Amino acid sequence: MNCEEARTQFVDYWRGTLEEAGGEFDAHLASCERCRAEAQELRDLWGTMGAMPEEDPSLGMRTRFYDSLRSWRQQESERRQRFWWVHRPAFQAACAVAILAIGVAAGYLARGRDTVELSQLRGEVYNMRQLVALSLLQQQSASDRLRGVSFAYRVEQSDPQVLSALLTTVNHDPSTNVRLAAVDALRNFTDNPIGRKGLVQALAKQESPLVQIAIVDQIVELHEKSAAPAVQFLLASENLNPEVRQRAQWALKQLQ
Amino acid sequence: MYEATDNSLMQGVRDGDLGALAVLFERHHRPLFNYFLHVNGNRDLSEDLVQDVFFRMLKYRKSYQPERPFTAWMYQIARNAHVDSISKRKFEVGLGEREFAGANVMDENLKRKQEIGLLKRAMARLPLEKRELLVLSRYQNLKYEEIAGILGCDVGAVKVRVYRAVRALGQIYFELAGEKAS
Repeated sequence: MNCEEARTQFVDYWRGTLEEAGGEFDAHLASCERCRAEAQELRDLWGTMGAMPEEDPSLGMRTRFYDSLRSWRQQESERRQRFWWVHRPAFQAACAVAILAIGVAAGYLARGRDTVELSQLRGEVYNMRQLVALSLLQQQSASDRLRGVSFAYRVEQSDPQVLSALLTTVNHDPSTNVRLAAVDALRNFTDNPIGRKGLVQALAKQESPLVQIAIVDQIVELHEKSAAPAVQFLLASENLNPEVRQRAQWALKQLQ
Repeated sequence: MYEATDNSLMQGVRDGDLGALAVLFERHHRPLFNYFLHVNGNRDLSEDLVQDVFFRMLKYRKSYQPERPFTAWMYQIARNAHVDSISKRKFEVGLGEREFAGANVMDENLKRKQEIGLLKRAMARLPLEKRELLVLSRYQNLKYEEIAGILGCDVGAVKVRVYRAVRALGQIYFELAGEKAS
């Protein structure tokens, strides 16, 4: 043990808490005069420190402490009394109800937002159907145009673009089947005055007896009295199919 | 008779038994008062600081951890209270000297009293950090482990620092004794 190590043991030595009494430390003190002298000198000082009397605080200090403690406890119990209702089951139940109500309200508001989103989505789907119908009606293949007509059933009758595309198909499509299907699809648009008028006008442009009969039937079905001149005009044509003529005469009677 | 430990009393305070603080006060207010007196040399201030420590204990009672020694926790609060009081008002570190400079008691224990007077003057001149260490290790008789817990260092460092503090005190003490003798 060197001097530095021995000196860190001094306090233990004075306190009597040396871990290995009579060991290396004692051997060092016995052999080192400087350490021995310092240990002795500071030991006296350490002893004097121990003899220093503890001072007593004033009596008022204890009184002040107990006064403050009392007022602290009072404040604490007042605080607890002020918030007693927090621990009441009724209050807790009311809290639960309020939270439930907030949850329901939040859910309702969220649902309102969903409705908006849903209608947007519907709008998008509708626009897509319209687009499909319009583009299919312009295809080269008759079967594609037929599919276009069936898509026209799925759009709203107020849609002017699809209505006009259907009327164009009725008037100009080279395929009889497509024209027939378009006449059927126009039923969907007969609440619309333009749809009715277009149907009546289309009669004069038809050459196929099947289409002529389909339009005549539909006019009768609608009780479209304003169509009478158009039917008479049809009857006036020379090469009219006898079955169509028969149907048109019947129709005129129905419209009167 | 069963006597509750400091730790279990403080645990009681933490759990709402504020009356247990009175027992802790009776046990510790005197050593705490002397600790402050050694550290700042002012009786009135020391009494206020003792009150402050006990009310900080109440305020922060929820943060008390029973596995740590109570005294270490208490002195940590005391040190903080002292530091806060310094920032509130700058007092003279050498106040202790004023109290004992005029002590001239004539009786059979005169020599011892003179020694003690001298020691207090020497203590008052010691830097705060060393003085505090001596107060904790000598006057409060705390274990090295407890002091290490308060200061936040290891036991080996505490031993070295206590020794250095004693030696520094010795130098001032013998210097003062020499002045007096000459």
